[in-house]
Amino acid sequence: MSMPKGDGYVIGFAAVICVACSVLLSAAASTLKAKQDYNVELDRKMNVLKAFGVATRDANGKAISGAEVERIFRENIKEVILDGATGQPLEGVTSADVSAKELADRVKLPLYTFEENGQVVKYAFPVSGKGLWSTIYGYLALNQDLATIAGVTFYKHGETPGLGGEVEKDWFQENFKGKRIFGEGVLIPFEVVKGTVADKYPQGNDHAVDGISGATITGKGVTKFINSDLANYEKYFSLKRGT
Amino acid sequence: MANNLKKTIVDPLSDNNPVTIQILGICSALAVTTKVDTAIVMSVSLTAVTAFSNLIISLMRNMIPGRIRIIVELAVVSTLVILADQLLKAYMFDISRQLSVFVGLIITNCIVLGRLEAFALGNKPLPSLLDGLGNGLGYSAVLVAVASMREILGFGTWHGIQLMPAGYQGNGLMLLAPGAFFGLGLLIWAQRQIIKKFETA
Repeated sequence: MSMPKGDGYVIGFAAVICVACSVLLSAAASTLKAKQDYNVELDRKMNVLKAFGVATRDANGKAISGAEVERIFRENIKEVILDGATGQPLEGVTSADVSAKELADRVKLPLYTFEENGQVVKYAFPVSGKGLWSTIYGYLALNQDLATIAGVTFYKHGETPGLGGEVEKDWFQENFKGKRIFGEGVLIPFEVVKGTVADKYPQGNDHAVDGISGATITGKGVTKFINSDLANYEKYFSLKRGT
Repeated sequence: MANNLKKTIVDPLSDNNPVTIQILGICSALAVTTKVDTAIVMSVSLTAVTAFSNLIISLMRNMIPGRIRIIVELAVVSTLVILADQLLKAYMFDISRQLSVFVGLIITNCIVLGRLEAFALGNKPLPSLLDGLGNGLGYSAVLVAVASMREILGFGTWHGIQLMPAGYQGNGLMLLAPGAFFGLGLLIWAQRQIIKKFETA
């Protein structure tokens, strides 16, 4: 800041700074992209495991390794892609062939099965929809009977931390386990209640979970998209139950 | 000279601490201090950003046109912050998720811009680097102290290690914003008592 400088110098200086900063950032972004994408993919797989009820953290709360996640995926989990309109599995299609738009529009539906000794014991599929501020992404797993919930995770959202953001917390997700979504031949509407289940249904209710206080709209959103995604997959599940 | 350099780095640790004495950077000090892990990563990120932005601005201090100096400072700071954020996303995904927006918000942290304006623009590169380092470490010390208190009382652990006896019921208040306010307030009071620095009303 010695002497005043001319306009040309100011503009030139600004231009040099901008170019230098952008070159540096682009270089960093492109070098780190592969690693970041891998992390996002690993996180997604970790959440599929979590929905299936596989322990993804050891006793000290440390997350299991990427190699371990890949191993479980290879040995126990199979992926099929269903046709959104008919609910039939599409032969020879893998998740790599499904575009983000086809996923968002529910044209193609990915389904994961968890197998033990060659027997399918659980099913999981992605669920997503609007909360209050953002789209919430998660996975819902059903037990072999295709009528009760084995587990749920919500892993990506932009809800208010401490209010709607509580959807990512264990206490909220634990409540889903064992809830009934199918009975007497039809889907039972699932509900995230406002307040607690005990208050709203004093006689008990096995297809509702406690809401999050201060996050009624987030809860309504979760209710809505879980039911609509369950209905999408029902085309396939009804065939499975028939056999 | 050597004494001056030492003072540059030691002063902000206590006598002129950016958080407890100058009351800067409070927002992130409240937000990311529920666990020691996140506090440490946040501290390292902020210290790196403060130190390097001080260094870079100091190197350019005779070239920066006075009329656009804030813009230039912000461009440098935001570049460094985005770099830090990208590195965390690539190498510490879990923690970067917990820190969420707060790494990005280092851009708006008053400590960073404050040091650039108050120090780096008028001093040589080496003292500026040390000044940034000192202020970053001063911020870190407060963050880790508050986070230790909150994690021990709130979860019964420190850095993930169980400290409280089994069956300890975590104090939920400590994990919410009020717990951070109480903790930080007590810390500011204690420190000002010790170094005898009082506001003259």
